[in-house]
Parts: sequence; structure tokens; C-alpha cells
Amino acid sequence: MTKELKLDPRTKLIIVLCFSTLGVGTNQILVLFFISVLALIVAKLFKVDLKRSLGKIKSLLKVLILIALVQSIFSPGQPLISVGNFNLLTIKGLEKGLQFILRMFIVIVSVTIMGTSTYREIIQGLVQWKLPYDIAFMVALGIRFLPMIREEIQDSLTAIQLRGIDIKNIPLKERINIYSYLFTPILVETLIKAERLAAAIEMRGFRAYDSRTSYLQLKLKSIDYLIIFLSLGLIILIFIKIYT
Amino acid sequence: MVCIELRQVTFQYERGKRIFENISIKIEKDETTALLGPNGSGKTTLGKLMVGVLRPSKGQVYIFNKDSSKMAISEIGSKIGYLFQNPEKQFFTNSVYEELSFVLRTKKYHEDYIKEKVDKILNTFQLQGLERQAPFLLSQGEKKRLALAAILINKPDYLILDEPTLGLDGRRKEILLDTLSKLKKQGIGMTIISHDDNFVKAIGDRLIGLSRGEIVYDQRT
Repeated sequence: MTKELKLDPRTKLIIVLCFSTLGVGTNQILVLFFISVLALIVAKLFKVDLKRSLGKIKSLLKVLILIALVQSIFSPGQPLISVGNFNLLTIKGLEKGLQFILRMFIVIVSVTIMGTSTYREIIQGLVQWKLPYDIAFMVALGIRFLPMIREEIQDSLTAIQLRGIDIKNIPLKERINIYSYLFTPILVETLIKAERLAAAIEMRGFRAYDSRTSYLQLKLKSIDYLIIFLSLGLIILIFIKIYT
Repeated sequence: MVCIELRQVTFQYERGKRIFENISIKIEKDETTALLGPNGSGKTTLGKLMVGVLRPSKGQVYIFNKDSSKMAISEIGSKIGYLFQNPEKQFFTNSVYEELSFVLRTKKYHEDYIKEKVDKILNTFQLQGLERQAPFLLSQGEKKRLALAAILINKPDYLILDEPTLGLDGRRKEILLDTLSKLKKQGIGMTIISHDDNFVKAIGDRLIGLSRGEIVYDQRT
């Protein structure tokens, strides 16, 4: 059993930034595959429950696979599979599809790595990086509201289905129309909750003053410096290798 | 006739504590069952298990003799009307009229028929004049009445009402009691989840008491 790696959230942020930059900055499938494996190993070291995280975004994964398939089919190039005069799959298309899937995989694994720190730790990291508190606080609120929006969507879908509407088995046009109904409750509930939250924090005397003290203080350890150095070194090395 | 049956149901929220362990209940369609108990006793969770919004960790829930794990929520929803504790959870349109006509319109009924049905139910629940109002901007009592009206327009065979009296004044409670009594006479059975003892005793045929996820009493009045 591997021991969980405990790192400063800022170190994790740098690792994630390196992975994402490499993922976006290269088209080479081998390099993308290498970064994906590396991201997986890092996620394993941080004890990320990938199965659970991927399970949560099952619907999104289906959309990603669909986009990859569409990209593969409609790209011109040397044909791999043809039906009559129509090239169903080309080498270029296959490459594009694979690049897209690997890129998305890197981004998803990177996000799960960030998920091993609490949002409070991440915000503190940003504040100690001298990010203005107003902005850090807005980021914190954004993170806080994301699961709430997900919950609202789920509740509204349940409410629609409880009225006897089988969303999965109705024509696409009507289904899109029904999904459009989700915007009202999400928007209204989000606004109501934001208003209540604003009143609650004002009542507790919250102000975004420039000088703030915090009980939580993050400190970079030697291992953090080592990993930051290795991550930045790796990204520079890979980019030099790619562009020379 | 048994309409909902829980067979040795165990339920636990994800990463949470166990709420029920091996609980079994048979709910008869023709009677009004009341689920009573203090806050946190598991009343709402039990109601959500009964209507398939939550699925048991172990055991089975049968709805009209069909295993609910093999039923889509929409199939359950067309048989059982469920009133959420917070009525806002079940609104998703921009006006009271749209909220009431949503299902009929999706089922492609004629506009004249829809208008007739909506007008009738607006009248029954004293919501006339509020047709164009946004459901989210109604008062708590109006929201409760609209939520119940939106369920009943779908003609369910059975109702599960979670805290239907919450936020209603004495007069509104009387009106609600009267409406539910009329539904009862029409043969629509219901389970009322409440800690309003006086209200449920006035309408309930069977009282089931819950405490910390266990049935502490089950008696017929």
C-alpha cells in the first residue's frame, strides 16, 4: 500500500498547471500518452479515488467520446476505413480523436489531484501567492456553489420525472425543450442562495479588507520545493524536446 | 390492496450514517397512513425510498407489486404523486399556469381541455388570479397549494405528502384537510409525513411512529 503524499496546495497547483500546459501545448500522441501516465501515477500517489471521480462525470465522458468520434470521422486524410467513396476513418482523424481524449483525460486527472486539497487550503494558497483577497474570496464562493448547482439540476430533473415525464424516451426536440426548463429553478435558487449568503456574511461583519489574518498558514517544505523544481524542469525539458 | 411494500430495506447515505436497517412495511392503498416522528427520525428518507427518489442499499421496494429498482422515476411518478417538504424543489416553470399545464401539454392534450382542467384546479386550491405569477415568488402557503395542485392535475393513484402543513396557518390547514378528505372519499390513498399530530390524527387511518430509523409504533385509529 502506497503512503499518501502530503503536499502544499500551491505545489499541487503547479503540478496541475504543468500537466495542463503540456497537454495543451503538444500534439504528439506519445508525449500526451506519457503525460497521461505520469498524471495517473501522481494521482495514485495522492490517493485519488479515480473510479469514483470518473463515475461522477459519466455523462460528460459520453459526450467527450462522442466529440472524439465526430472529430475522427469528419477529418480528411489518408483513409483507414472507407465505405464506397466516403472515407469513414482517416489516420489524421484517428490521431485527432486520440489527442482529444488524452488531453481531456489529463485535464480531468489534474482536477482530481486538486480535489485532494480542501477549497479553504487552495484559497489560502492563492492568498499567500498575493492574489487579492476579493478575487480569492470570489473563487472560494464559486467552488462552494458548484456542487449546489449540480444538486439543483438533479432535483429539478427528479421533479420533472416525478410528474410522469420519461425524459429518456421522448423525442430529442421535446427533450431539449424540457431541459430548457432547468434554467429557471437553477437561476432562481442560485440567486436566492447568493442573496442569503451575502446577507449572512454581512451580518457576521465580513469585509474584504486588504490586511487580513488567517489561522491557517501554509508553509512550503523541502519536498514541495523539490517537486516544484522537478515539475518545472520536466515541462521545460519536454518543450525543448518538442520544439527543437 | 398493498400499494407500496418495503422488504427488509437497509439505507445509508453515501459516506453517511445508516438510516434504516432491515425495515419492512406494507402500505395499503385505500387508507391514509401517517408517518410521525421527531426531526431526524428518517420520515423524509422513508418517503423518498417509497417513491424511488432514493434507492435502498439493501432490500427491495415494491410499488403496486413491481420492484421499484426496475422502474424509472417517471413510471413511479405517473402512479404516485410526491409532495416535497420544500415545494420550491418541484417548480421549474416561469408561471403558475405553466406549472399546472406542463404535464398535460407534454402529453399533447388539447389547449381547451388544458385550460378547463387548470381553471378547475386553480379554483379548488384558491389560486385564481395568480396564473401569471412566478411560482418562486408566491407565499409559502401558496407554494404548498400550487405544488399539491400540480401533482393532482396528473391524477395519481396514490399520494405521498411530506410535511404538507408546514408554513400553513390554521385556516389553510382546515382547507387542506378538507381537500385531502375529499380525495380520500374519491379513493385516492395517501401517506402523510408530518410532525403535526393533530392534523394527521384528524385524517389518518394508520399511524406509524418512527424514531432513529426504527418503527416504534404502528397502529390503526
